[in-house]
Amino acid sequence: MLRKIVVGLLGALLLGTAAMAANEPVTIDFWHAMSSGHQPNLQALITAFQAEYPHITVTLTYQGSYSALQGKINAAVAAGNLPTMAQVYENWVTPIESILYPIGPHMTMMEVGDIVDGLVPSNTYNGVLTTVPFNKSIMVLYYNADLIATPPATWAEFYDLAKTLTVDTNGDGTIDRFGTGLRPAANPEQFLVYLDQAGGSILNADWTEVTINDAAGMAAIQFLGSLIPYTFVTSDYMSDHMAQVAMFIDTSAGYNYNKTAATNAGYALGVAMLPVGPASQSSMIQGTNLAVFNVPNQTQAQKDAAVLLARFLLRAENTVFWAMKSGYQPVTKSAYETQTWKDFVATNSYQQAMSAQMLLGFSQILHPNYGDMRTILSTKFDEIMRSATGALDGLNSMAEEIKPLLSE
Amino acid sequence: MRTWRERIGRAVPRGLGKPLGILRGKLNPVAVYRRNPSFWKETGTAYLYLLPALVILTVFIFYPFFDAFRISLFKWGLLPPRPYVGFANYTYIFHDKYFWRSLWHTFYYVIITVPVTLFLAILVASLLNKGLRFLSFSRTSFFLSYISPIVAIAMVWRWMYNANYGLLNYLLSLLNKIPFVHIQPIDWLNNPDYALPAVIILSVWHYVGYQAIILLAGMQNIEQQYYDAAKVDGATGFQAWRRVTIPLLTPQLFFVFIMSLIGSFKVFTEVNVMLMGPGPLRSAETIVYYILRSSGRIDGATQHLGRAAAASVVLFGIIFALTIFQMTVTQRKVHYQ
Repeated sequence: MLRKIVVGLLGALLLGTAAMAANEPVTIDFWHAMSSGHQPNLQALITAFQAEYPHITVTLTYQGSYSALQGKINAAVAAGNLPTMAQVYENWVTPIESILYPIGPHMTMMEVGDIVDGLVPSNTYNGVLTTVPFNKSIMVLYYNADLIATPPATWAEFYDLAKTLTVDTNGDGTIDRFGTGLRPAANPEQFLVYLDQAGGSILNADWTEVTINDAAGMAAIQFLGSLIPYTFVTSDYMSDHMAQVAMFIDTSAGYNYNKTAATNAGYALGVAMLPVGPASQSSMIQGTNLAVFNVPNQTQAQKDAAVLLARFLLRAENTVFWAMKSGYQPVTKSAYETQTWKDFVATNSYQQAMSAQMLLGFSQILHPNYGDMRTILSTKFDEIMRSATGALDGLNSMAEEIKPLLSE
Repeated sequence: MRTWRERIGRAVPRGLGKPLGILRGKLNPVAVYRRNPSFWKETGTAYLYLLPALVILTVFIFYPFFDAFRISLFKWGLLPPRPYVGFANYTYIFHDKYFWRSLWHTFYYVIITVPVTLFLAILVASLLNKGLRFLSFSRTSFFLSYISPIVAIAMVWRWMYNANYGLLNYLLSLLNKIPFVHIQPIDWLNNPDYALPAVIILSVWHYVGYQAIILLAGMQNIEQQYYDAAKVDGATGFQAWRRVTIPLLTPQLFFVFIMSLIGSFKVFTEVNVMLMGPGPLRSAETIVYYILRSSGRIDGATQHLGRAAAASVVLFGIIFALTIFQMTVTQRKVHYQ
């Protein structure tokens, strides 16, 4: 009996201590790159979070551009003074994944399962959900709605339309408007979209073989190669050349820029889901995630608080708020079912395509040398689309150059 | 006269001869102090004044350089393990065709930018030195191009180079009004043949004002008596410029030449902002662009800090060798008044 009383008292003491510890004031640093337009909305979310967890104070620190944020995170790794959490791209944290504090194990099964399917692999290291998605965009089809009544639904329709809409309007021998446009060097993800839609991938599932030049890869590159005469190729943003292209694939985050540019070019901008490929209608998701750092200068209470914030930001109402205000897409499935989001989509027609496309999204692989692979894709894709090399030769060169990266 | 070795006997090992000789000779600070106690006081004060600059240089220049060399010998990541790989990073970059291409692009840029900018700067400085009525206004105007942030300038030039609406193509189109002249609009930023020349034109425009102001200051310090003497000897204006101005301007010319040579090898921002990348088909990728890409700081590339450090060391070696060459060859022709 005495033992039970002692155990009970000790248990109560422990629980009491834990409860007290849980309510101990704690301050966490959150580094981000959300410039002035987005900051008030992020601050509003943080204010709501602090109201719910009054013992937690979040210090939001704007670190400048993404490049500046990356530089500061790198410097902080070296100096040992990382913040509690930060907004990060996959390739920034893949080399330092050993000092990430996994968020997934501290989430409920329901919360983990609610994350948009295409976003889970790019946040999962060694089978553990480590980071969580934050501001995400998806590649969609933008088109000149004055020229195109019905956007193309398949690759074949896309090709036919691109061919039809490529014209030399003033008869001077140079093309004045191209059917489509690509930014192969700046945005090799455009190739990855076609590759995925054809059912291909850069590597096989366990990253032991290069599969980019298998049948699916060949189908994708041959399709893109057939589009060369009707494609405006540039490194600029497509919004700088709106009058020169009839339709193009671009990120949903560029909607406002593209819309303004289309208006300036004298036409209405349409947004549609991508045409369906041989295997799927998938599209690539890009954007940053949230990482919590497991480093000596961060206490357990700080890491716990950061996890709470990450979970808070994933809640349907919050990811919807963030998406509505920022132009990014909600990152959880339940968010797309909320009435608020449905109403928002109903009143903003361009969001219908973006929302539907997001749920068919895929993300980049977390291979440690993905950055090098991207450089190869960018270089070769640019060479192919500028006719500096043949489509199949370029694809095989990609495969040959990627191969050594698997053993590095 | 006995040698120092005869004087101190055979106790000194042969290898230590030279250092000990220095210690016993004129450079021995103790001997200098004994001979002239005020010397130490003066040099000590000088060293004291130099100390802050020396500390800053040590922390921000010398230490990073030696550390970069150290890092270049490792497979260096943000976190350990960082295995020693010897010269493997150098082997990698020397076998990478894009390293050689970026080196070639950089040399191409330097070989054109440095002499053209200097030539134009001499012309501008000479014109300004002719005694323009609005000298200070003209000086400020030329200097504005230099003091404006390079990012802002590159953005403006992006518009000027625009193939359809840009100012440059508009000006070129005006030439079409001349009979038998037909110039097609140039796709400056989207054509691999023109991307690097576009960067060169921007850089020449950006730096010519700065160099001209330095040369102008040098010209205005040349004593009038030299020109008077030249006039008495019957020299024409051009002859006086050629035989008096240019020789007496060589210290400034030398300074501007060395600084622009070093600066030009480090060209990056102009490329990255104006071309939004390394240019079509990587046609304007410079060595600093290559270094930053290798370090994972741009283009979402993988971090290879060892390779980036190795390429930095090679760049340092090139700049160092060229600077030493310049200082030994060119400085012989420099006349100080």
